[in-house]
Amino acid sequence: MRDERIARDARAAQYVALDVPGTFSVRLPLGIWTARDGEFSVLFQEWGDRTRRLAHLPIGEPLSCIGPLGNQFSAPSEGQRATIVAGGLGVAAFWLLARDLKAARAHTTIVLGARSKLSIVGRDELAALGFDIDICTDDGSEGFHGSVVDRVRSRPPSDVLYGCGPPGMLRALCRYANEAGVECQISMEENFGCSLGTCWGCVVPVRRGCPQGTGYPKAPREIRDYDFARVCADGTVFRASDVLWLH
Amino acid sequence: MAALSTSSALDMSVRIGSALLKNPIIAASGCYNRGAEYSRVTDISQYGAITLKSVTRQPRLGNEMPRTMSTPAGMLNAIGLQGPGIEYFLKADAPALAHVPTAVIASVAGFTVEEFAYVAERMDGIPNVVALELDVSCPNVDREGECFAAQPSSIAAVVAAVKKRARLPVIAKLMPNVSDLKPIAKAAQEAGADALSLINAVRGIAIDVKNALPLLANVTGGLTGPAIRPIAVHAVWEVASAVTIPLIGMGGIETGRDALEFLFAGAGAVAIGTANFRRPDVHMEVLAGIVAEMRGRGCERVTSLTGLANPRFAGSRSVEAAVARPKTHLEGAHE
Ligand SMILES: Cc1cc2nc3c(=O)[nH]c(=O)nc-3n(C[C@H](O)[C@H](O)[C@H](O)COP(=O)(O)OP(=O)(O)OC[C@H]3O[C@@H](n4cnc5c(N)ncnc54)[C@H](O)[C@@H]3O)c2cc1C
Ligand SMILES: Cc1cc2nc3c(=O)[nH]c(=O)nc-3n(C[C@H](O)[C@H](O)[C@H](O)COP(=O)(O)O)c2cc1C
Ligand code: FES
Repeated sequence: MRDERIARDARAAQYVALDVPGTFSVRLPLGIWTARDGEFSVLFQEWGDRTRRLAHLPIGEPLSCIGPLGNQFSAPSEGQRATIVAGGLGVAAFWLLARDLKAARAHTTIVLGARSKLSIVGRDELAALGFDIDICTDDGSEGFHGSVVDRVRSRPPSDVLYGCGPPGMLRALCRYANEAGVECQISMEENFGCSLGTCWGCVVPVRRGCPQGTGYPKAPREIRDYDFARVCADGTVFRASDVLWLH
Repeated sequence: MAALSTSSALDMSVRIGSALLKNPIIAASGCYNRGAEYSRVTDISQYGAITLKSVTRQPRLGNEMPRTMSTPAGMLNAIGLQGPGIEYFLKADAPALAHVPTAVIASVAGFTVEEFAYVAERMDGIPNVVALELDVSCPNVDREGECFAAQPSSIAAVVAAVKKRARLPVIAKLMPNVSDLKPIAKAAQEAGADALSLINAVRGIAIDVKNALPLLANVTGGLTGPAIRPIAVHAVWEVASAVTIPLIGMGGIETGRDALEFLFAGAGAVAIGTANFRRPDVHMEVLAGIVAEMRGRGCERVTSLTGLANPRFAGSRSVEAAVARPKTHLEGAHE
């Protein structure tokens, strides 16, 4: 997609909200994958109506796009070893981060997981940045046989973990990071309404006191001891130590 | 304030009680926060007013996720009135309202008559706030009983209690989930409501067929967007024959044509909610559409469009006739 400003301003883990032409629906949020030379790309699957329509738009069709939106991964400090942990299409959050880590000469490992060899995406673009990629597959058809989190456990520890992928994987990654006392930042997804922070439709439970939460005082009869944060505007990036997994 | 380039020589202003709005397009409650987010992507000053998310007496975390779901031509939401509560709202949110470049309508929600009256009273005197909307009809919270907008007597009790304690004009927001809206609307008018908003979201449920479970954590949600427009136009049509106070029509408005349906049915103003999510410029397109219609018909006042299609329209089409109260500081905000 061609857009000078988005391509220039996009930061790691930011996304765009697209108005996909067709019948009524809210905007479609998609992570910004690569960005350079006035263009950016997205990586997506045909999940349902909006992604199907988007996939079949003619090339050159103008599209209304708001972005870049959301906060961003924060860079590791000098000398820290970073590991990028990507599950499936969650890899979409990582090209920009990998580019920045490369430029900063940070010691970086990329663990990329998929269901099977055929469903691995993003490998070539990341390899082109000069990284070795540690592949994991659920069915063992390539690389490590098991989940990305199992793979992270089996590797030498790093100082910062960056995660994006399906909820089950993020939950396991957060549990690992919290137990091991490793700093971990994850980029989350939810069903979005407005994508701009106005509708409160996209919240995740975070610990009370998390700077990304609402900060509302606790009501007298409120039994829940957490706060909510909006994924679209307060995130998408949260610290593993802030996010609560209720279910 | 700069005149709208598209509407010079036309009078787009509408009156809601003592409040004069520069045009009849309002941002619907719960869809616009306090305007700051949309200011980054559109010109919110082109709204005649923005309505804030409903504020309750106590802070509320709201419902669990999932809270939204897209459905054919609309969306279901069950946010559950997440909000800071009135004290924190006054401290943290209200001061910034002075910078909103258009009029603000504060929305009040509650679980008892006293809560409504208390929160409404505390809303007095906030800069820029020109009216209060009472969300007596939110479909997404457990009221341990029924919604205030379901019964003429209960809506009358809320409106009367608020009118006694608040000085701002009061708008009661009705819901379509009743067998006959007319007695409810009449009761609100008789209790002193200065205007009515209709409609709130329509109750709905979506089920995940694969797992045989409701898709929203709250089970029930409120359906909004184009899917509910005919229901909303019908509600305006019905109520327009029963009351004389101004009606604010909403439900699935995406274009000027959609807004005209509401005006012709008997609304004096319209509100846009869900469509902002898709097109943040939607209010400007709607306004331009109404202006084009006025030019086409050679009419100079937007109020003269009200009720054109509805032979039983009981309200008033002239701005002057509706003036029964002192003018506010907003007077002259249009040109
Ligand atoms: C910040 C953010 C960034 C995102 N980035 C990307 C991205 O880079 N690439 C990408 O492909 N998607 C991404 N998504 C997810 C994408 O926005 C959703 O999948 C969206 O719902 C697809 O819209 P749709 O109209 O095509 O399908 P919908 O009609 O919304 O969904 C169709 C069906 O698929 C199911 N479904 C939808 N999404 C998922 C999912 N993620 N996992 C499992 N089941 C699902 C739904 O339950 C539904 O039954 C992102 C989401 C967010 C919030
Ligand atoms: C996400 C969301 C939150 C809402 N929250 C409120 C609310 O707090 N108070 C209220 O009176 N109406 C609320 N509404 C209802 C809208 O104000 C409006 O009545 C309804 O959405 C119909 O208009 P639309 O189809 O243009 O969205 C909400 C609607 C949505 C979509
Ligand atoms: S999607 Fe509306 S607040 Fe996040």
